[in-house]
Amino acid sequence: MGGLQKKKYERGSATNYITRNKARKKLQLSLADFRRLCILKGIYPHEPKHKKKVNKGSTAPRTFYLLKDIRFLLHEPIVRKFREYKVFVRKLRKAYGKAEWTAVERLRDNKPGYKLDHIIKERYPTFIDALRDIDDALSMCFLFSTFARTGKCHVQTITLCRRLTVEWMNYVVTSRSLRKVFISIKGIYYQAEVLGQLITWLVPYQFAHDHPTDVDYRVMATFTEMYTTLFGFINFRLYQTLNLVYPPKVTQHEKLNRWVSCSLQKLSALSASLARVVATAEEEEENQLDQFPADGEDLENMEAREKEQKEQEAQNRLFEGLKFFLNREVPRESLAFILRCFGAEVSWDKSLCIGGTYNVTDETITHQIVDRPDIDKQYINRYYIQPQWVFDSVNAKMRLPVEDYFLGVTLPPHLSPFVEEKDGDYVPPEKLKLMALQRGEKHEEEEDDDDDDDDEEYNDEVDDEDLTEEKNLKKMEDQRSQGKTLAVKVTPGKVKPWETGSVGNKVRLEKEEKAEEKRLAIMMMKKKEKYLYDKIMFGKKRTTREVSEHLRKIHSGSSFLLLLVL
Amino acid sequence: MAAVKRLKRVAALQPGFISFKSSAESDDLNSGRRKRVNKNKKKNWNKHSDIQDVEEFLDDVRLQERATGGLISEKPDDSLFFVDIGEQKKSVLPEVQERKKGKKSKSRPLRIDLILQHDSLVPPPKDVLAYQQPNAKKLRRIAENAEKLAAMGVLPRRQKRLLNRRPATKTSKAKTAANNFPDRPYYDLWGGEAKETADPYYLEQTGKRRVKRPEKLNAKPSILPAVEVIAPGGSYNPDFFSHQALLLEAHEVEVTRERAELRIERQLAVKREDTATEETVFQELVEGLVEEEEEEEDDVVSIRGGLQQEKKTEKERKRERADKIKSQQKQAARVFTDKKQQLFQLRSIQATLKRREQRTRERVAQRKANQEAEKSMPRRLGRLKFQAQDLEIQLSDEIPGSLRTLKPEGSVLKDRFKSMQKRNMIEPRERAKFKRRHKVKYVEKRAFREIT
Repeated sequence: MGGLQKKKYERGSATNYITRNKARKKLQLSLADFRRLCILKGIYPHEPKHKKKVNKGSTAPRTFYLLKDIRFLLHEPIVRKFREYKVFVRKLRKAYGKAEWTAVERLRDNKPGYKLDHIIKERYPTFIDALRDIDDALSMCFLFSTFARTGKCHVQTITLCRRLTVEWMNYVVTSRSLRKVFISIKGIYYQAEVLGQLITWLVPYQFAHDHPTDVDYRVMATFTEMYTTLFGFINFRLYQTLNLVYPPKVTQHEKLNRWVSCSLQKLSALSASLARVVATAEEEEENQLDQFPADGEDLENMEAREKEQKEQEAQNRLFEGLKFFLNREVPRESLAFILRCFGAEVSWDKSLCIGGTYNVTDETITHQIVDRPDIDKQYINRYYIQPQWVFDSVNAKMRLPVEDYFLGVTLPPHLSPFVEEKDGDYVPPEKLKLMALQRGEKHEEEEDDDDDDDDEEYNDEVDDEDLTEEKNLKKMEDQRSQGKTLAVKVTPGKVKPWETGSVGNKVRLEKEEKAEEKRLAIMMMKKKEKYLYDKIMFGKKRTTREVSEHLRKIHSGSSFLLLLVL
Repeated sequence: MAAVKRLKRVAALQPGFISFKSSAESDDLNSGRRKRVNKNKKKNWNKHSDIQDVEEFLDDVRLQERATGGLISEKPDDSLFFVDIGEQKKSVLPEVQERKKGKKSKSRPLRIDLILQHDSLVPPPKDVLAYQQPNAKKLRRIAENAEKLAAMGVLPRRQKRLLNRRPATKTSKAKTAANNFPDRPYYDLWGGEAKETADPYYLEQTGKRRVKRPEKLNAKPSILPAVEVIAPGGSYNPDFFSHQALLLEAHEVEVTRERAELRIERQLAVKREDTATEETVFQELVEGLVEEEEEEEDDVVSIRGGLQQEKKTEKERKRERADKIKSQQKQAARVFTDKKQQLFQLRSIQATLKRREQRTRERVAQRKANQEAEKSMPRRLGRLKFQAQDLEIQLSDEIPGSLRTLKPEGSVLKDRFKSMQKRNMIEPRERAKFKRRHKVKYVEKRAFREIT
């Protein structure tokens, strides 16, 4: 002994971590500012392996950050901007309070702002790094562009997101990079392949939806701020790779409404092609693969790659030469995007949106996409199909037979292209049919009848199973939904014929016994358990009160339909 | 002093004197409060002499002179009063009236003109400038000087001051535009060359060099992908079995949730054996009432009576020692034979070893699998645990037939938020509750308190 004693929690993991409040105090920022800074710089909290050691003996749940990360944050220049902004707000509030309007104007003119460019450069040193992280940015920007323009979040942000998403869609259309589409109940999932990276993103539906209350809007707004910056730079670079002008312009010779000068609207129509920096020929040049001298092993690889490339190019021309017309009830933007990605010409009703180049009466239209049960005026030389044909064709990489998608026909199920079935897994019969189609249509024609018969039998069995299973499930669902209210039911008074006589007495005795049991159990409970029991009963009473309220309302005949819808 | 006062009082009492202000009050105010001062000293003649009354009187006189043109007491009666006889009847003859009117208009001026005449004894001040006659020579000289100065470039003082004042037009400064304004320009971020113009040491010392980002920060916080595609049962027109699979998952979730809710009730449930049967009820009622046979007391006391042992004798000690040695020898012999027998037990020993190794291997594999699973689970970063959102699913009767009748399920905003929590980017938080620092006090208003 005699040397320096080792004290606990002075070295090792205890000194590598710092709690959130300590970090905030170290940076001298408010909590909101601190969270914003962490989100912008990409610094996330860590869960240490041995919480007791890090927390100096206690196991209280705390948020920990790495000390090195926080020290790195100290050198960030936008920390100063945050503090300046705080001072600016304070001065502005004072000027407002004293009604010094000249001071207010002066302060507003000198409002401090900050830029995030250096942060993006630091987080994503190369373009490919940024491209790998674009999934999140895409989904957020698409989400924000569907927000309603009330004052809840800055309208400027929403406009910027809309602009960026439209630019991205135009890029994908021009580069023909779309690969998969999946229509789900949540939204539409797309997958594109850009510069070798597979990018998946989710686009919500355009219909109005309620905004959930437990989402932190400030956090989402901060994320969006960072993502819009990132996304803009990526767009610029992508446009540069294709030799397109950025900010994008539409080529002039398209027949668009002259009186609409807003370029964003023209772009969002997605029906025009983009202007290039160097005026090259209209058709894209086919890139021929260089022919290297082939070795033994490489030969197969090269052949495989060539085959892939040919398939890819064939897929890119999936709808080439076809002319589509979108009816009013169909989601215009999504379908226009997909169809244009594969080379088709699209148009819609002029009153719907700008950019509809031809009318419904145009004779050269080959397909018209309708979602109604039937349509009154029918032209002979065009197909009237439901929109699922487009999505399924894209996923199947070939033009599917149109007969399955006519108006009024029960559609085949929309399968997910993101599912990779392994050997032993269940493959839905529709997918089997599809794969058969892909292998060669000739086989399909011969085996069609057999397949149909088999399918019918299979379907019958499946139907029976369906029905029973559905019934069971329905029962379970009903029980679940009613489970809570089973204890209390406000039913109208029933005349009980068996209440008189010994039978009635027995029933009453049973009831009394049960009640007695319950009372005894309550008496025997320990304090803790009794406390829990009281809590449960309180909650139950509350639900019964609510239920009786609802039922009262029902009986009084008001707002029942409202309840159902909700 | 007293003489002045007396004079004033005498003047006020004169029958003809009419004053504007009644100065009778000023006497009474100060009479009771005055401090006794020696007025024979010269110092006190100015300080403690009260000439307020005289001043008032003089003010009054001056006011009268100013306003009404002389003391009212000296004015003739006619100017102040007139005798009200009543209205005279107007004579009917018009010619006589015309003549009378003409006379009146010539002789007597308008009443309003009379009123507006200034009748004050104080003459209006003389306008000095009106008497100033311009000196032509002087004026000419001033103009020539001004021209000479203007030719030289020297401006008169007034113009200089005007020019020195800050201009009203605002110079538009280069404002740092906000981050999110819609027409924000972008440039090639990854294209430019790195500009390391100055010496790196200089840059570091002056704080101009950017600190390098630590490598660990580039690692993603979770291995989950950013956008997780929903299961195939979530399609708007799903295939039957995949939809059923998704329904089953949702069902499982609901079942676990219900079981957790009922757990407490199950813990508090009463056991069947504890219910009161008639026997036990009877026993309870009867307890202590019936005299039962008393139990026989046990005379044999099993308590060992204290320490009445003798010391150990030598014999006993020797015996103990021998016993110990013997037992040790026996044990050694046993161990020896065990070792010898182990040779024959080789097979079973191998079997046990194999089993043990397999168990360790299984455990290692299990631990590794657990660790891998943990990587994809959301980590606990703070007070609240991560609550996964409900599976978005539509029941069999809610599945739409077409895209037009589709009702979207779930919110993408919530989905993105939860996904970020799942990927350990943000910690789960709840809304801060409003806590009152001090308890609220209820007080009745005074009026109500009196009523009730």
